[in-house]
Amino acid sequence: MGFLTPLFLGGFLAVGLPIWLHLLRKHKTTPTPFSSLMFFERREQSSIKHRRLRYLLLFALRTLLLILIALAFAQPYIQRKLLPATRASRITVLAIDNSLSMRAGGRLDQAKRMAKSEVAGLRPGERAEVLAFGSRVQLLSEITDDHAPLNGGIDAVEPSDARTSYAELVRSLRSIAQAAKQPLEVHLYSDMQQSGMPSNFNDLRVSADVRMELHPIDARPEPNFTVENVVAPRRVYDNKKARVLATIAGFDNQKSMRRVSLVLNQREIESKTVEVPENGRATVEFVSLEPPFGPNRGEVRIDSADALPNDDHFYFSVEHVEPRHVLFVHENGNTRGLFYFQNALESSGKSAFVIDPATVDQTANIAPAKYAFVVLSDVSSLPPAFENELRGYVRNGGSVLITLGSRAVSNNRVPVADTRVEGTSYTGREGERFQTAAWLDTSHPAILKDARWDEVKFYWAIRLNPGKARVAARLSDGTPLLLDEQSGEGHILVFASTLDNVENDFPVHKCCFVPFVEQTAHYLGRLDDTQAAVFVGAFEELRDSKEKGAAVDVLDPRGERALSLEEAARAQNIQFTMAGFYDIRRPSGRNEVVAVNADRRESDLTPAPPEALNIWKSMAQGTASTNGESGEAQSKPFSLWWYVMLAVLALAVVESLLGNRHLSVDKEAA
Amino acid sequence: MIQQFLDPAVLASISGLDLIAKTVVNGFVAGLHRSPDFGFSQEFAEYRAYNEGDDLRHVDWNVFARTDRCFLKRYRGETNTQVLVLLDTSASMSFGSHTVHKLDFARFLASSLCYMANLQRDAAGLIVFDADVVNYIPPSTRQGQIFRLLHAIEKAEVGTHTDFAAPFTHFQNFLRRKGLVIVLSDFYADPELIIKTVEPLRYKGNEVILFHILDPQEIAPKFREPMLLVDMENRAASLEVSPEYARHDYRRKIDAHIESLSSKAKSAGMDYFLMNTSRPLDEGLREYLFIRQGRM
Repeated sequence: MGFLTPLFLGGFLAVGLPIWLHLLRKHKTTPTPFSSLMFFERREQSSIKHRRLRYLLLFALRTLLLILIALAFAQPYIQRKLLPATRASRITVLAIDNSLSMRAGGRLDQAKRMAKSEVAGLRPGERAEVLAFGSRVQLLSEITDDHAPLNGGIDAVEPSDARTSYAELVRSLRSIAQAAKQPLEVHLYSDMQQSGMPSNFNDLRVSADVRMELHPIDARPEPNFTVENVVAPRRVYDNKKARVLATIAGFDNQKSMRRVSLVLNQREIESKTVEVPENGRATVEFVSLEPPFGPNRGEVRIDSADALPNDDHFYFSVEHVEPRHVLFVHENGNTRGLFYFQNALESSGKSAFVIDPATVDQTANIAPAKYAFVVLSDVSSLPPAFENELRGYVRNGGSVLITLGSRAVSNNRVPVADTRVEGTSYTGREGERFQTAAWLDTSHPAILKDARWDEVKFYWAIRLNPGKARVAARLSDGTPLLLDEQSGEGHILVFASTLDNVENDFPVHKCCFVPFVEQTAHYLGRLDDTQAAVFVGAFEELRDSKEKGAAVDVLDPRGERALSLEEAARAQNIQFTMAGFYDIRRPSGRNEVVAVNADRRESDLTPAPPEALNIWKSMAQGTASTNGESGEAQSKPFSLWWYVMLAVLALAVVESLLGNRHLSVDKEAA
Repeated sequence: MIQQFLDPAVLASISGLDLIAKTVVNGFVAGLHRSPDFGFSQEFAEYRAYNEGDDLRHVDWNVFARTDRCFLKRYRGETNTQVLVLLDTSASMSFGSHTVHKLDFARFLASSLCYMANLQRDAAGLIVFDADVVNYIPPSTRQGQIFRLLHAIEKAEVGTHTDFAAPFTHFQNFLRRKGLVIVLSDFYADPELIIKTVEPLRYKGNEVILFHILDPQEIAPKFREPMLLVDMENRAASLEVSPEYARHDYRRKIDAHIESLSSKAKSAGMDYFLMNTSRPLDEGLREYLFIRQGRM
């Protein structure tokens, strides 16, 4: 027996306290004079002796209690001899890699056969479990010594489109070992792909009671071609032909020619032949993409004739939609702002918006709800009905861009936003007494991260009280230039100047004006940033806060429902697990097609170097189980703290009860 | 407020028995004035014709104005009796578990009784005794008697053991006139013997009051642990006593002793009164007055 903190044994000195209380103090009886002893008798002696005996019991209890408390603080432990870990006391884990690369050349079947032979070799009573791993770990059997469910689990391992992550496997093994509280012997069946190794080798470190046995699949290096990437528009707004750019990569290959085809809705549109250099990449451009209205399923494929055909396709989705309308309200006769704004929007390259200009007088009968967003370009006042309509439109999620100039100031307030104009300042063009945008909030969606407005000169400055609005840009004198105020579900963006090249020269600075207009339109029009294609393992948001409880239908590439009924009503997002096209019907009734591709890192079938595998093996030798196999009994410290504390508790209760009996005598005496 | 001054512990802080006696009696009488049951001391008794030498202060001038003759008013309180206080000063009387021990208490009580008797113009006397008569002040109404009594009480020292037979036989000779005999003692003796010793006083027509003075620790001892007790009247005798015994057996015995003494005293025509030294003195005075009133 030993003690973790032996210094606390000094607490034994506290035993002196009960000794003093019970023995030393008791014998110090001083004779007490009493008026007469005529009513006392000699026979009381026996009673005193009996009482002393009881005190001695209390004394013994108190002494023991103090000793045990001191012991508890000293934290005693004993060396417990553990029986050597036998094969029966540890769990065999059969981990089978089912990532995309395992589809190549029957690798998965080979791994399954090897795992089954390991199951056959298990002795009676030896327990095992089967798991499959790619980017996630999937348990396919419970821990059992029955071979039937283990073989069933191995048969159930299906090829997936996920990428290999050995780090994720090791993380799961650590959890399993911790939960099982028994040593693990892990048999890993994988092609040991280099791309599956984590960047930090420490991520492969397993706990001491896990021993790993690596079983690399015996596969010869094979050339593999893949469509590595496709750049295609997610949405097409006009009837012009769109451009698709594909990158073809070759691994372990010789220079060779490959035929690349562009397929839209399972119909080949165009094909080209490209020369793929040795271990290199080639780019193919298709300019004939002319998708019909609605969601379309695009695909770029190659005739690779290699061992891994699943990476020969690259799916993308493209949607042909009508451009959205933007209402541009201006004063009669002031069309300069419209001119610059329209040109900037058109020159941005995306024709997602069509501008509908209207003078203030024409707005009385316009319903803003049908517009993507509304621009109020330096308007003095709006018809009250239209202004009210605009307020309701913003509350319900619409957005308005308001530019302020000399006309808007005349009313002393910003329309719709009702922000008060605190004043104006004019700095003439002569003598370079202009202001610049000194500060930009590059985190605002309307401003690009690398935006530079230093060259822009502002001559007319309008001071607004920002109130609760977010200030996205300020002039050199601190005057807020761009304010974003949220009202209900929508936004009101106030640009405290004009877009007409009169009160500033912003529109002539194409390098910053066009991106500003494009970003602002993108932000106010709520264009989504979805990609034409995502990879397996990516997540997609299914509903927003307003669509709680509404069902979302998701069909996976096999045409099956990816969500259960409960998930369809509650799930906030979905993770794509297989390559192909997912059909998503959102609560708003909108249909979307999401193209999902396997991670192209899987296409590189190069195995990890043997040195790396050796290091991994040496790291995962399971010191606990290895020692166990040597047959020597090992000892492990076993803390007695809990037992001592339980004894202290029991003694404290007994001491309280016994002491209470004495105290009750004293109470009566008192 | 007045009751507070009758508390023995408070009285113990007052030096001088005369002051104590005054404090007690004045406080007690002041308390009586509020009581409708008493008021004897100034009760009108009769008119008497004025004789030469009578104190002119007692002449009823209203009667003189009407009749042109001098009459004196007489009050009941002026009826004289003889009060003899017997104070036990044996060693056991020096026991006390709190500020006031039994002898002090007996002193307070004796001095208060003497003072009150003096106020009533009773002839008060004192016998201090333990195993024998230690001091004797014959009853008298002479001027300065009260001071003699108080001085004797104050001078009373703790003696040896109690022996009722010897002193009582002795001082029976002193009593020539009927009166009130007050015995202040802790009566640590056989009740039979005590009564047998005191009884002859009663035969002579005396009213006898036994004030049994006991400390609360004697009535109900409270020991927290076994105690080695030494007899104060016999230092050689000692006993180790357990709290259990003191709590049960001793109490039973002392209660039986008190009960026996009380019943025997009553059956012998004596008044018995148990005085707990932790309780106010007025209880003793009340007893005295009750008996005193019966004698008038």
